[in-house]
Amino acid sequence: MKRAGRCLVLSGLLLVAACEKGERVAADNAASQPAAAQAGPPTTGDWLINHSLSDPEQLNPLTSNDGTASEILGYIFESLLTRDPRTLELRPLIAESRPAISQDKLIYTFKIRRDVHFQDGRPLTGEDVLFSVKAIKCPLVNAPFLRVYYNSVVDAQLLDKYTIRFVTKEPYFLNESQLGGITILPRHYYDPENLLKDAAVRDLLRDPSQLPENVKNFAANFNENYSRNPMGSGPYKFLGWRTGQDLDLVRDVNYWGKGKVGIDQVYLDRVKYRIINNQDAALVTLKSGGLDLIDRLTPVQHMRGTGSERFNRQFQKLLYFTPFYSYIGWNNNHPIFKDKRVRQALSYLTNRRQILKTVLFGLGELVDGPIYFFRPEYDKSLHSYPYDPKKAMDLLAQAGWKDTDGDGILDKVIDGKTIPFRFEFKSPSGASTGKSVVLVLQDELKRHGITATIREIDWTIFLDDVKNHKFDAVVMAWGMPASEPDEYQVWHSSQAANRGSNHISYKNGRVDKILEDYRREFDAKKRVELYREFQKILNQEQPYTFLFASKFVSVVHRRFRGVEIYPAGLKPQDWWVPPSAQRYASKVMAP
Amino acid sequence: MGSYIVQRLALLVPTLIGISLMGFLVTRLAPGDPAELRAAGGLGGAREAALSRGKQSAVDEAMAQWRAQYGLDRPLHVQYGIWLKNLVTLDFGESFKDNQPVWNKILERLPVTIKLNIFSILLVYVIAIPLGIYSATHPNSWSDQTATFGAFVLFAVPLVWAATMAIVFICGGDFLYLFPPAGLTSLDYAPDWPWWEKVADQAWHLFLPVVLLSYDGFAGLSRYMRASMLEVLSQDYVQVARAKGVSERIVVLKHVMRNSLIPMVTILASILPGLIGGSIIIETIFSIPGLGQLGYEAVLARDYPIVMALFTVSALLTLLGILLSDLLLAVVDPRIAFGRRAQ
Amino acid sequence: MSPGPSGGDTGTALGSEAGLAKTDGGGEGLWIYVWRQFKRNSLALSAFYAVCLLLLTALSADFLANDKPYYLKYRGQSYFPILRGYLVQMGLAKWPAELLNVDFKKLESEKALFPPVPYRASNIDLTAPFESPSGPHWLGTDKLGRDVMAGIIHGSRISLSIGFVAVGIALVVGVVLGALAGFFGSWVDMIISRLFEIMLSLPTFFLLITLAAVLPQSIFITMAVIGLTGWVGIGRFTRSEFLRIRNLDYVTAALALGVPNRRVMFRHILPNALAPVLVSVVLGVAGAILLESSLSFLGIGVPADTVTWGSILNEARSNTFAWWLAVFPGAAIFITVLGYYLVGEGLREALDPRLRGSR
Repeated sequence: MKRAGRCLVLSGLLLVAACEKGERVAADNAASQPAAAQAGPPTTGDWLINHSLSDPEQLNPLTSNDGTASEILGYIFESLLTRDPRTLELRPLIAESRPAISQDKLIYTFKIRRDVHFQDGRPLTGEDVLFSVKAIKCPLVNAPFLRVYYNSVVDAQLLDKYTIRFVTKEPYFLNESQLGGITILPRHYYDPENLLKDAAVRDLLRDPSQLPENVKNFAANFNENYSRNPMGSGPYKFLGWRTGQDLDLVRDVNYWGKGKVGIDQVYLDRVKYRIINNQDAALVTLKSGGLDLIDRLTPVQHMRGTGSERFNRQFQKLLYFTPFYSYIGWNNNHPIFKDKRVRQALSYLTNRRQILKTVLFGLGELVDGPIYFFRPEYDKSLHSYPYDPKKAMDLLAQAGWKDTDGDGILDKVIDGKTIPFRFEFKSPSGASTGKSVVLVLQDELKRHGITATIREIDWTIFLDDVKNHKFDAVVMAWGMPASEPDEYQVWHSSQAANRGSNHISYKNGRVDKILEDYRREFDAKKRVELYREFQKILNQEQPYTFLFASKFVSVVHRRFRGVEIYPAGLKPQDWWVPPSAQRYASKVMAP
Repeated sequence: MGSYIVQRLALLVPTLIGISLMGFLVTRLAPGDPAELRAAGGLGGAREAALSRGKQSAVDEAMAQWRAQYGLDRPLHVQYGIWLKNLVTLDFGESFKDNQPVWNKILERLPVTIKLNIFSILLVYVIAIPLGIYSATHPNSWSDQTATFGAFVLFAVPLVWAATMAIVFICGGDFLYLFPPAGLTSLDYAPDWPWWEKVADQAWHLFLPVVLLSYDGFAGLSRYMRASMLEVLSQDYVQVARAKGVSERIVVLKHVMRNSLIPMVTILASILPGLIGGSIIIETIFSIPGLGQLGYEAVLARDYPIVMALFTVSALLTLLGILLSDLLLAVVDPRIAFGRRAQ
Repeated sequence: MSPGPSGGDTGTALGSEAGLAKTDGGGEGLWIYVWRQFKRNSLALSAFYAVCLLLLTALSADFLANDKPYYLKYRGQSYFPILRGYLVQMGLAKWPAELLNVDFKKLESEKALFPPVPYRASNIDLTAPFESPSGPHWLGTDKLGRDVMAGIIHGSRISLSIGFVAVGIALVVGVVLGALAGFFGSWVDMIISRLFEIMLSLPTFFLLITLAAVLPQSIFITMAVIGLTGWVGIGRFTRSEFLRIRNLDYVTAALALGVPNRRVMFRHILPNALAPVLVSVVLGVAGAILLESSLSFLGIGVPADTVTWGSILNEARSNTFAWWLAVFPGAAIFITVLGYYLVGEGLREALDPRLRGSR
C-alpha cells in the first residue's frame, strides 16, 4: 500500500534527523568547555539566547503593559535619566546632567545632550522629548495605566532646542525619577505627519471629546500601527519577532553612545528571546544547548535538576534577591481579624522557617516589614515573630477565644452570637507557592482549633475580589522598584477606598501622617528616620503576616563575562564573550 | 444532491448562532474583569500572586477608559448584536492583549493545529483499520485478543501521564534525548535549508505530539472496524460469494471492505469536534503555538474576542465536518439516496 | 479525542432478539441471561471484581487511611476515636478535654490500634517532603509530606463519585430527551435532534475549561459540568431505541388500549431500551474519570485542599525526580479506567445477540 511506503520514508527521515540532532548536540557540548580563564578587555560578538515564558503582548512602548515587553523595550529605548545599577543613584543619560529644580520643588528643567541620535540616524532633540510627554498625556492613546502614573505632570515646554521644562502639581521627591524615566520616542517615526505639533501639554488635559481632529488621528494611528516595530535611541535594534517562537534584537553598530565616557557599553551582537511557555521544557532546552540564560528556575529545578557535574561545567547558577516579598494579608475589617492580638497570634502560628525550608527549599529570607531589606530604610531591629504556638494560644485566650462546646474548634461571643473561629483563604489558581503556604497553614491551624477553608479562584476574579475587599485572608506578593520606597499606596487609609492598593483596609492615623510627610521630604536621612518609625508600628500591629523575600535563581552559560548581580537583578546588556568561546557568529558586524 | 447541500448549509446558520450565543453568555456572565487584568499587567503575575507597585494608583479612571474603548460598557445584548453584525464581514474584533485583529491571530495558528490533527487522524486510521480488519478476519484468536487488550490498555492510559513521562524520559534532560521537548522547529531552522531537511526537522518535532494525540484512538476505531466487518461478513451475499468459490482474499478486499468502511466515514464526523479542544494539553506541554493554546490563554485572560471567535470557528469546523462525512457517505454507500435515486 | 473503544451503533439489534424483559419480571429475564453470558468472559469478570474492590475501597476509605486509631486505651479509658470523630462532626458528641485536637500518634497511650495507613490524605508533614516509597510511607510522600497511599485511597472517592454523579446527570438528561425524541417524533424530534447537533459541535473541552475556570472550584460543579456536556451519546442511543421499539406490536397495542403516553414510555419501552445505554454509562464513568484527571492537570476543577489522583499527578510534572508521584496515581487512574472498559466491553458482548452463536 502506498501509505506504508510513505510511512517508511517518513520514519527513515525521522531517524536521520534524530541522529543529526544528536550529533549537533554532542558537538555543541564539546565546544562549551569552559574557556581559558584569561578574559582581557570586553570584545564584541556572539549571541545571548534568553528565555521568555510567553510572548510580550505587544511592543508599543506606551501602550504595552506586561513585564516581558518592558524588559525587551528596555534594550531599545532610553530616557533622560537612568539609575546606576549598583548604587541606584540617578545618573544622566540622554540629559546632560540631573535637572535643575526650582525652590518650590515644582519645576524641573533638563538640558539634553546634543550628540544623541536614533537608530535610523536622525538626531534626538528636545522636540522628541516633548513629543513623548504629549503622547503619554494624550487621553486617546491607549495607555490609561501609564498615563495615570504621570498625573502629577501638568505642563511641559521647550525653552530651546535642547532644553525642556516640566511643571508638576505638588512636591514629591520621586518626581525627578518619574520625569527622568519618560521613554523618549522619535517624533518623526511615531508621528510622521507631526499631528501633535500644535497641541500643548495643557491642552491635552481636556475632555477627550473636545480634542481637535489632528490629535484624534494621531492617537488612532499610534495605537494601531506600532505594535511590532519599535524604534528608539537605545543600543539594540528590533530585528524580528515570530509569535510563539522567538524575538530578536540586534546590536546597533552606530549607537550614539558607543565609546563615550559615562555611557554603558554593550558587546553582544544579538539578543534573542526564545519563547517556551513551559518551565520544565525550558530547562531541558537549556541543557541541550538551545538556551543560554534562564531568568528564574523553580526551586525544584534548582535543587534537583541542575546539580550534576556536567551541568556545572557548562552553566553558572546565580542566586540573588530582588525587591519582592510575599505576605499573608488579613482583612483588617473582618470581625475576627480586627483584633491585633489575633493577627499577632496567627503570625506566631506560622512556622515561617519550616515553610521556607520545605516549600521554598531555603531559597529566601524571612522579612518582617515592607521595605526591601537591602535598602537603608529597612529596620533590622524589628521583632521577628518565631513559631511559638504557646504564645499564640495565650494571645488568643486573651482575645477571648476558647473552645466552649468541645467540638475541637475555638469560639467566641461577638455581638451577642457565638461564632466559631472559621475563615476562608482565597488563592489564585496557578500560584503554587502561595497555595502550599496556605495548605500548610490550614493544617497547622486545624491542630489548634482554627478552621481555615481554601478557595482557589481564577486570577482575574481573584484580583477583582481583592480590590473590592471581598476576602478574609489572602497570600500574595508585592514587587517594587529597587529604588526609594514609597509605601503610601499600600498603607495610607485613603487608599482603602476606590479599589486602591490598601486591600486589607488598614487605618492608622499616625501611619497616615508619616506616609504623607515622607513624600514631601527631600532629605534622605530624614526619610530613613520616618520609615523606621513606620515599620515599628507595622511590626506591632501585624496587619500583614510578612513572609519572605524570595531568592531568585538564574542560570547562565559560563562563556559570558561581566555577569554581575545588582540590587535590581541582572543586567545582560553588560555581558560579553571572549572570541575563543563565542558560539554564534553573525554575518558581518563591525565592532 | 445540490439542493441537499444548500439545505444543510442553511441549517448550519441557526446552529452556529446558537453556539456563539452560548459562548457569549458563558464568558460574559462569568465573573472576572479583563480591565482588571490589563491594570495588573497581564497574566504574568498569577504565578506568584504578585502585583507590581508601579502602576496601581488611581486605576479606576484608567479602566473605565479602557472599557469604553472596547465597547464593554454597553448593555450585553447590544454587544452581542454588534458582534454578530461584524461577523458577517469576518471581523472578529481585536484581541485585548495586543490589539491585533483576532482573525489574523487565528489564521496564524490554524495551520499548526490542523497539521497536528490531520497527522493524528491519519495515524489513527493507518493503524486502526488494519488492526480491525485483522481482528475481524481472525476473530477470537490469540492475536486478536492480545491486540484488543493492547488497544484497551492504550485507551486507558491518561494523556497527561503519558505526555509528562515522555517529556521527562525521552526529551532530553537527565535521561534520553530522542525528541525535542518543545516547539515546531529547531532553533536554527532556516528557510534556505533543502526541502527534505526542513521536512525531517518538522517531522521530528511533531512526532511525539502526534503519537500522543492519537494513541487513544487506536482502540476505538479498530473496534468499530472489527464490529463493522463482522457484521458484513455474516451477510448473505458474502456467503454466496464464498460458495461461488471466490478466494477469501478477494471476498474480503472487494466485497467486504467497501461496506465495512462506511461506519469509518461517519466516525470522522465525531472525531472532528475534538480538533481545537483536544490538543490543548499537548500544545501546552510541548509549547506548540496552536489554537488550543491560544484558546486556553484567552479564557484565562478573559480575552472575549478570541474566546468568541474560537468557539464559533471550532463549531463551524465541526459542522462542516459532519456535512462532509455525510456527503462522503453518500458517495461510498449507494443505498443512501439524497432525493436522487429511489432505494 | 476519539469515541469509546467499544463498537458503534449496536443499539439497533440489541435487546429485541435477546428477549424482551417482561414488565412483571417473570421467567428468565434479559438480565439474568446477560449475567450468565458476561460470566463466561473471564477477563471482563476479573475486571468486574476489580471494580467492586475499588468501590469497596472508596466506601471504606476512612477506615483504611486515617490519622486516628480504631481503638485507643489512654489513662485507663477506652475510646474509639474514628467513630467518635464521626459523631462529633454530626454534633452528637464532644471530644473529652484530653483528646481535643491531639496528635494521636504522639500520645503516650497503653494501647492504640491504627488503620493500615495511619495518615489522612491531607496530613502535612514538613519534615518529610518527597520521601521515596519506604518504611512509614509505603508509596512515598509529596512536596508537603502528604502520604501518597492515603491520597490514592481517599482520592478514589473523588474520582469515583465524579464518575458516577456526572454520568448520572448525563443519564437522566440523555434518557429523558432521547425518549421524548424517539417516542413523539415529528417536530419534537426535530428540535431535540438539533439540540444534539449543537451539543456535538460545541467545543466541549474548551467549554469545560471555560466553565471550570470561571465558576467556583467545587467538586459538584465539576460533576455537573461534565454531566451536562456528555449526555449526547446516551441521548442518541435512547432515541434510536425508542424509535425502533415504538413501532413494535406490543407498544401499538398498549397505546390503542388507551394506556397514557408517560406510562408507555417509562414502564413499557424504557426497560427494554436501556441495554445499549448501560454500556454507554459504564464507559461514561471511565471517561469522566479521565476527564477529571485532565482538568486537575490544568489546575481546575477541584478545590485546593482536596487531594485527587489528578492533583498528585500534576505535582509530578514539575518534580520529575519524584517518580512515585507519577507512577502510582497514574496507575490508579489507569487500572480504574481499564477495569470499567473491560466491564463495559464484556457487557456489550453479553448483550450482543450476534455473538451468541460464536461462543
